Amino acid sequence: MNDIITTACKFVTSSIGRKIIVALTGTCLLLFLVGHLAGNMTIWGGSEWINTYATGLHTMPAWLLWAIRLGLLAIVLIHVVLTLVLKLENTRARTPYQMEGTMKATLSSRTMVYTGVMIVCFLLFHLWQLTINGDPADCYGHVVHAFSNEWCSLFYIVAICCLFMHVRHGVQSVMQTFGLATRKVRPLYNIIAVLFGIAVCGGFIAIPVAVLTGFLR
Amino acid sequence: MANLNLTLKVWRQENPEARGRIETYKATNIPDEASFLEMLDIVNEGLVHEGKEPIHFDHDCREGICGMCSLTINGVPHGGKHVTTCQLHMRQFKDGDTIWIEPFRAKAFPILRDLMVDRKALDQIIAAGGFVDVRTGSAPNANNVPVRKKTADAAFDAAACIGCGACVASCKNSSAMLFTSAKAAHLNLLPQGQPEKNKRVLAMVRQMDALGFGNCTNQYECEAACPKGITVDNIAKLNRDYMIACASEAVGVFS
Repeated sequence: MNDIITTACKFVTSSIGRKIIVALTGTCLLLFLVGHLAGNMTIWGGSEWINTYATGLHTMPAWLLWAIRLGLLAIVLIHVVLTLVLKLENTRARTPYQMEGTMKATLSSRTMVYTGVMIVCFLLFHLWQLTINGDPADCYGHVVHAFSNEWCSLFYIVAICCLFMHVRHGVQSVMQTFGLATRKVRPLYNIIAVLFGIAVCGGFIAIPVAVLTGFLR
Repeated sequence: MANLNLTLKVWRQENPEARGRIETYKATNIPDEASFLEMLDIVNEGLVHEGKEPIHFDHDCREGICGMCSLTINGVPHGGKHVTTCQLHMRQFKDGDTIWIEPFRAKAFPILRDLMVDRKALDQIIAAGGFVDVRTGSAPNANNVPVRKKTADAAFDAAACIGCGACVASCKNSSAMLFTSAKAAHLNLLPQGQPEKNKRVLAMVRQMDALGFGNCTNQYECEAACPKGITVDNIAKLNRDYMIACASEAVGVFS
């Protein structure tokens, strides 16, 4: 038992160990995105569909609802805190160049911490706007009302674009961190990362765009 | 044969504690077949004639095999042409170019003087576990110890690392993962390295963390800067081996 605890402590303080935890929590969040998007897609069926879906979520047993909520909160906290600690260490480990050069690192990989912070800000606003101040019985009305405000829609679209950049690096990074990447499959992972990002983020952005253009009213 | 006239922006720093600065030098009449280090030799000759302190830089074999030369050229270690600085030739530059020359930068690589840095941190990672404890004998007869061709190739590719530190210098996080993973992989892949595989992985990774290198964020700048073509497949392998080693340690396989 002692060995297990000692190793576990060393694992969660090591560079690779923490990266693996970030990748694991990141994977959970990617799966959450898919689930959330699937739920959102009910809006295309009209107010009936999405209101039923939203009410359905709230009628599940309270313990299950709160288990999911607290679980997600824990995952987000672990992901955010660990990445910020890693980022701090990385900044400390480096001495900047007078003339910086970049060969291969993608813009999305270099802006992970900024897009991440943007996503957290967005998440807080999103929860405040549509979860805390929302009524599941009139989910459709709330969404249409919220996105009728151009500034609100713009904020959502910008935030989802940040999410796209975050996911684009995240997906291929997860495969590398889990040790599942090789020269042969890495280009494929990059394609999957971009396609996943387009599918998920495109799906999310489609809703404010549809409201703004009057398609959903 | 064309001769080049260049402007050099060079990092000068008298000692580890001194405040460094960029100084500008003219490099005139540089033959384009000169190597980058020979270009600096020519500039230094001029500085010595003027009674000034020459630019200090590391070099040894000048054949691209020792890993001693460094220099970050225009923000890219070794200039980013997949060769070491000593094998980088001036024909890669154009007349009138301005070239920024800085040391390999990382907190784990303290600057000794001008462009010379102390890379002993890499040796400390090797000393922690990058070896086989027992004598494995001289080169065995071919096929005496069966090794798959693919495995042998991968081990050989990893062993091509000359330990120059360009991976650390190019990394946006100053991580030594490419170096550590290559040194671990070349032994971990071969039969002679198997008995100590888990012990080696844990020791090298823990030493790497202790020395103040950053954490890899999978940006692959290291692979692009490496003069020896070491691939980030080694990093994926180290991540995998590290998970296995931690699991073995936790359940007491070698305690």
